Amino acid sequence: MKKNIFSKIMLLSIATTAILFTSCKKDDDTGGDNTPTKGTVKLEFEHKWGMNLVPFSMGVDIKQPKTGDTLKFTTLKYYVSNIKFKKSDGTWWSQDESYHLVDASIPSSLIISIADVPIGTYTEMQYTMGVDSIRNVSGAQTGALSTANGMFWNWNSGYIMTKAEGMSPNSPSGDYALHLGGFQGEFNVVTVKSTDFGGEVLNVSPSATPQIHLVANPAKFWHTNPGVKTISKIHMPGANAKQAAKDFYDGIFFDHIHP
Amino acid sequence: MNKTLKISLIFFVLIFISSCQTSEIEQPEQTLGLFYPDYVSKPVYGFEKNKLTHDGIQLGRMLFYDPILSSDSTISCGSCHAQAHAFADHNMKLSIGVNNRMGLRNSPPIFNLAWHPNFMWDGGVNHIEIMPLAPLTNHLEMNESIVNILLKLNRSQTYKSKFLQVFKKDSIDDQMMYYALTQFMGSITSFESKYDHVKQGKVAFSSSENRGYTLFKTHCNSCHQEPLFTNFSFRNNGLDSVFKDLGRALITLNHSDEGLFKVPSLRNVALTYPYMHDGRFRTLEEVINHYTSGIKHSKTLDTSFFENPIQLNPN
Ligand code: HEC
Ligand code: HEC
Repeated sequence: MKKNIFSKIMLLSIATTAILFTSCKKDDDTGGDNTPTKGTVKLEFEHKWGMNLVPFSMGVDIKQPKTGDTLKFTTLKYYVSNIKFKKSDGTWWSQDESYHLVDASIPSSLIISIADVPIGTYTEMQYTMGVDSIRNVSGAQTGALSTANGMFWNWNSGYIMTKAEGMSPNSPSGDYALHLGGFQGEFNVVTVKSTDFGGEVLNVSPSATPQIHLVANPAKFWHTNPGVKTISKIHMPGANAKQAAKDFYDGIFFDHIHP
Repeated sequence: MNKTLKISLIFFVLIFISSCQTSEIEQPEQTLGLFYPDYVSKPVYGFEKNKLTHDGIQLGRMLFYDPILSSDSTISCGSCHAQAHAFADHNMKLSIGVNNRMGLRNSPPIFNLAWHPNFMWDGGVNHIEIMPLAPLTNHLEMNESIVNILLKLNRSQTYKSKFLQVFKKDSIDDQMMYYALTQFMGSITSFESKYDHVKQGKVAFSSSENRGYTLFKTHCNSCHQEPLFTNFSFRNNGLDSVFKDLGRALITLNHSDEGLFKVPSLRNVALTYPYMHDGRFRTLEEVINHYTSGIKHSKTLDTSFFENPIQLNPN
């Protein structure tokens, strides 16, 4: 008799468990065919130096051909954002929350992986060097835009969109620091860049990960601005920041697509 | 208790623990709103993305008073922003940071921050959420890096569980820290002064208070505009003819902004001495003497001091 009651309780509990478990099943993936419709694209930034585009390295002495300064880079970081691809039918696909920090000291950051691109062929791309004005005035952010990356001015709010630092015997202080930013008015450095793929096409498919190669040339910081003897520090938005950023951003170009 | 009974009880309990973890049976914490009287305009910061909760405010308060946020664990936000002084400094002219480093300006009070369009004497900080970045990383103040702060917070079980409770995330990031500090700072309001009680019809000004109010409206209200007692504009109120601190011009680089500072609120003003961006005046009497007979001329002096010179003896 007693035993009977307990086994009933047992039964009841098992039954309840079963009910609860089934009722809590997440209802994702409601079947259908699972042919993938999306693929991944990689965007690689390669750093080359000077007019002859020789390979660039951090932490070694290099000569800036225009100013004659000897420079040893310790930091080179910049934001790339709002990446978009133009399909051969003329429509654009834009990446969501598209903010990326390229850091020359972290090899993995030189290759930006862009997932969930709809399959198809693309002929052009657009990207922004810097961080759009909205994110400069919207308070605390996360990920690439986190203040833990050391790319946000603490006393004059806004992103340091490009940071180049290093040592130079030609600088009166022995070092240089270009902190380039500014998102409003005449000193806005945010630059939207467009490039076609020069006849090549970007083929997005589930089976391959094409890689777009862009080349950036850090010697361009001194394309117009004088050398580090005259301007070794830029710490806020202004004419010097604007010029250095413009020259560096203008110097970035499409090289090829690795299918 | 019978063994079988025990087992089935355990079974039952297990059911409730393991079931439906994703569908949140537990009541979400009630979000709070900022209370403010109807004669005050809507705040610019509305806590839309950063939902104000009791636990969030408590966590922000804990961070505000915790010196581990500084490089040598000696200074907290509360070191320079003391509640007894409406969260202004402890009667210091200039703020003192780690290693007794002397700051450059007087610590302003903290209240009604949700109404501020920008922060600092020169308005250099554009959003309440990233306001803490300045004191946390300034080498004259708390002198710490955000990366280190996040390491320290993530090493603390107490913080981890509190942050988990408020933000439902296992790992603490800087946005969560800023959100929590903002919940605390942003929910400190000042709307219970005698002025407010008069506005609300609960009490009346005395006759001498009324004369002061009339004078105030004539001479001060154009900048220290009621009911917040500031219009948040940048002005030169005649402290100097040569500027040691360029003020607003440091941010805008405009010569016409040299010597301009953000108009401070005059709420709680009896508690926030010493006064002005460099704490040069110890008493309100000195401030009044300044406005009546100490105004110094310069290119950027506010025109109101020519058009409407302050005389404190109306008939
Ligand atoms: C070493 C002293 C010191 C510490 C520590 C400190 N502050 Fe401040 N705080 C100041 C000073 C000085 C200013 C004004 C700075 C300026 O205008 O340049 C200020 C300004 C502010 C303001 C702007 C108020 C306004 O009206 O514009 C806020 C908000 C603030 N601090 C919050 C904080 C928080 C939060 C912390 C802790 C993370 C903190 N402070 C730590 C000294 C300090
Ligand atoms: C033209 C605008 C303007 C007018 C008019 C004006 N003020 Fe000010 N007041 C300011 C500014 C700007 C500051 C901050 C200046 C600084 O620190 O450099 C200030 C600071 C103060 C302070 C110091 C507050 C603190 O916390 O440090 C007091 C008190 C004060 N004013 C009272 C008055 C009174 C009383 C009147 C009228 C007799 C008045 N003000 C008229 C612009 C004005």
